[in-house]
Amino acid sequence: MQIVKRVIDWVDVRLGVRELVEENTTGYLVPRNVNAWYSLGTVLLTLFAIQFLTGILLLMYYIPDTEKAFTSVERIMNDVPYGWLFRYLHAIGSNMIVVALLLHMFSVLFMGSYKKPRELTWLSGFTIFNLGLVLCLTGYLLPWSQLSFWATTVATDAAGAVPVIGAKLVELLRGSPSVGAQTLGRFFALHVMALPLVLLGLIGFHLFCVRRIGISTAPFGKDARPARTGEKFEHELHPNGIPFFPNYTMEEGAIVCFFLAALVAVAFFAPQLFIPPDALVPADPYNTPEHIKPEWYFLWAYQTLKIFPSKLLGLGVQVAMMTFLALLPFIDRSEERRPAKRPLFVTCYVLGILLIIAISIWGHYS
Amino acid sequence: MMSIKKSAVLFAGLLLALATALPVLAEESASAAPQTVCLQCHGSQPGRLGEPVKLWHDSVHAANGISCHDCHGGDPTDFAMAMSPERGFLGAPEANAIPEFCGRCHIGVKEDYLASKHGQALGKGGPQCVTCHSNHAVQRASLDLINEKSCTRCHTFARAAEIKQALSATDGLIAELESEMAKLHRVGISVKAMQGEVFDLRNNFHRLFHTVDVEQVRKETDTFQTSLGAVKAKIAGINTELGERKMWGGVAVALLVFAGLLFVLIRRSYHEEEDHSGE
Repeated sequence: MQIVKRVIDWVDVRLGVRELVEENTTGYLVPRNVNAWYSLGTVLLTLFAIQFLTGILLLMYYIPDTEKAFTSVERIMNDVPYGWLFRYLHAIGSNMIVVALLLHMFSVLFMGSYKKPRELTWLSGFTIFNLGLVLCLTGYLLPWSQLSFWATTVATDAAGAVPVIGAKLVELLRGSPSVGAQTLGRFFALHVMALPLVLLGLIGFHLFCVRRIGISTAPFGKDARPARTGEKFEHELHPNGIPFFPNYTMEEGAIVCFFLAALVAVAFFAPQLFIPPDALVPADPYNTPEHIKPEWYFLWAYQTLKIFPSKLLGLGVQVAMMTFLALLPFIDRSEERRPAKRPLFVTCYVLGILLIIAISIWGHYS
Repeated sequence: MMSIKKSAVLFAGLLLALATALPVLAEESASAAPQTVCLQCHGSQPGRLGEPVKLWHDSVHAANGISCHDCHGGDPTDFAMAMSPERGFLGAPEANAIPEFCGRCHIGVKEDYLASKHGQALGKGGPQCVTCHSNHAVQRASLDLINEKSCTRCHTFARAAEIKQALSATDGLIAELESEMAKLHRVGISVKAMQGEVFDLRNNFHRLFHTVDVEQVRKETDTFQTSLGAVKAKIAGINTELGERKMWGGVAVALLVFAGLLFVLIRRSYHEEEDHSGE
């Protein structure tokens, strides 16, 4: 232990790490009324770390070749020691990430934490959410199963609905007239290199925003504060707050453990929940499966597209909705953050969530 | 600056929208799946000419991608020449030629059938393939095909019942193994090799019936039972491993829940401290 202390002392003299650690742990005060919803960021960091780790392990055995991809995944599942576990954790983990991203986004919306001065935090978080979905989509093609092939075929087909440049966009996405080796190469590069790099950058920026601006006080009880509207930068301090470590870290630890318990439970006991039968059949470009349903988090959009008479209109409505959500902090400029004082927002919020759930269920059974 | 942000948001929205457009287009693709000219033409015809397509759709042949031209020959890609003898079109066979017609693929069954009492009665009122299996609506062969209603069209059921009895235990084992393998496949276990093995054994075993010789069925059943038993042992081994996985999974889940509860308790103890310091 003496040697460890000497190494820390050596580094401390040069970089002042003890002070840095103290500033960000026991000396970092968070609002006294901080609640479990604030833990979702840490849950997401943990889940993203698992995705990176399992992704690297899968990468050691996966072969991005249309002739070998499916067999290499079969080999991972059957021959590679604990390969099945890494793959299940990766595939199911991606679904858990979408769950955590949605919960994180909904809680931020409900508590009005997206408001000034946190517009950039919201924008970077919203982009991370979309990037997460694109990572799911690009990862879908890699096993080169029937599901992979046809899901990618129809998803890239959708780009054709964009006026004027539609056909060019489809070709750009696929790299060839139809989904094939070029598409697999592109999606592989995007999934394992380009998108994770962008994601890392965005997560870094998001965390920087959170730390630089300061954690928002929950808009409940006597500690509730309105959104700040001043024109000068000010770090939100919580002089009467509680230490981030160990006090709040324990709460985060608990929520992370419960999320991981759910992830491990699904991976060991019900992996098929997230692996449809078509994902177990090698891709066959000459045989279209009868019923392709998107993943649960795309069902609302699937049904929305069916409701509208043209693909372009359906896409337009979705883009408009996502743009509205992205720009919400610039549209909703009121200082009030307490849900009880924002009846119109809360009504729209609850009805919006119920509508999305209802449309998703409709999409599932349609 | 604002326009860059807006563009980024729109791009993200577009990507999401692209991803979500999947199923609607999938349905369109499914309905536009390429069909042979045989199916396109006969499928739209009423009565006798269209009936085979309707029957075929629910058949074991359709389920396995065996289409009209695989049996009847011809060119499935050319409307004009689809039924031309030059392109190998055979048409429908005469009743007595049916065993040869089906036997091009079901070679072993044909051999056993021709050597059997059924085969020897071909052309003399004896049954051929479609008598029991029907033609376009041909279903996966099972012991249900041996039934009183069907067999008593030509003779009493006693002997057929005896053969059915001799086949049933092994056939039941094959069905059980197939069901077990389907379950394993559903959880990502590669069962291709075992499925191939059972498929071969099943085909060879079903050949036996076509001898209509109960003594031969009894004599060869042991060999099949031994081979199927080896597959059963492999499946049992995999199931044991899956059971162990679940046990360790249960332990991991329990540990994580326990750790979570421990964190909650520690957090509560801090709550008490915070309440005191806040007073």
